[in-house]
Amino acid sequence: MNSPLPLFDFQGCLEACAQGDRRALHALYEEEGARLLGVARRIARDDATAEDILHDAFVRIWTRAASFDPARGSARGWIYSVTRHLALNFIRDTRREVVLDEAAFSSMPFASDIDLQADSAKIHRCLEQLEPARKQCILHAYVDGCSHAEIAGLLNTPLGTIKAWIKRSLKALRECMG
Amino acid sequence: MKTPQGERADDLDALAGEYVLGTLSAEQHEAVRHRLEVDVQLRTAVDAWEQRLLALNALAEPVVPSARLWKRINRSLDGQRPAQPVRWWQRLAVWQGMAGAGALASLLLAFSLLTTQPPPPSYLVVLVAPADSAAGWVVQASDARNIQLIPLGQFPVPSDKVLQFWTKGEQWQAPVSLGLVKPGEQYRVPSDDLPPLEPNQLFELTLERAGGSPTGRPTGPVQFIGRAVKVL
Repeated sequence: MNSPLPLFDFQGCLEACAQGDRRALHALYEEEGARLLGVARRIARDDATAEDILHDAFVRIWTRAASFDPARGSARGWIYSVTRHLALNFIRDTRREVVLDEAAFSSMPFASDIDLQADSAKIHRCLEQLEPARKQCILHAYVDGCSHAEIAGLLNTPLGTIKAWIKRSLKALRECMG
Repeated sequence: MKTPQGERADDLDALAGEYVLGTLSAEQHEAVRHRLEVDVQLRTAVDAWEQRLLALNALAEPVVPSARLWKRINRSLDGQRPAQPVRWWQRLAVWQGMAGAGALASLLLAFSLLTTQPPPPSYLVVLVAPADSAAGWVVQASDARNIQLIPLGQFPVPSDKVLQFWTKGEQWQAPVSLGLVKPGEQYRVPSDDLPPLEPNQLFELTLERAGGSPTGRPTGPVQFIGRAVKVL
């Protein structure tokens, strides 16, 4: 048989988690754990911390699965949001004062194997329409979890300019993506 | 829910975008997080941004978790009840939102003392929105068998949701449902086997899926909340 690979059922897994089925949580972990850890690692910039974040994320996915509302977005998006916000909270609590050095960043390239789903293609097409420095602002913020001040340091640009760029870039992205 | 005065749709969307992007200060971030529990408009904007930017997560290189991480997660689940939604009386926003209720309760109390013919209601509750402390409903009760909920305005509810009315005494384990309420309409709680009313008893309205909470406990966001004040 040459049938297409079935899509992983994120929503079904969350529903099963809500019913107390641990195998469903494990399936989510097997399916998405490495990618989620990559997201947490990128923001936390530390392996042990990233694993702590992923641990907390899966406990939260388990305890909050019943609160997932498919009317508000995809189940996959929800588990990423849970993980990202935990990671962002972590660095907000601990690391905002640390000065970043640019060298540390150049050693963390953006992954090249971007999956070309519709959404993915759309955001990248829209990002390409921004000036390169503004695109960097969005990526450093979202992917690296950088604050305004950190981005200002990395791009050697005044803080006020960075804030204005991000505001305008978000507006442009919204208009581009709908 | 209402939007604070002067906030335009653009500002709301910018706030939502920066919340998802992660560039808000800790204070702003916390403020948004609390507002999300009650502000449907902001929540919709945040959901849209989560969806728009989701694909950027693919830019972070995957990292294979260490073999012990799943065991650690699995152990942590032992102490957790599966998938219980956070209960409203454990939410900080709920308590913060009640700060403004006291003054208004006093006003209404004075008003009721001046105008009400005997017998007066023995308990009065002003239910306020957690986000901005705007008063939305008043509860009047002479005893546990005679509880009346009176709207102070029109508060739209999404067509697939309902308002559910709850109460919880200070020593109770969990809130008890007092029934489903139509927005903007008076509601009299059917005679029930409720324990006697007590001062400080909590009353609240949550947004639940059609038909009411499936668990018998509040699961949706708090729309209005207040505590009982004893009337002389």
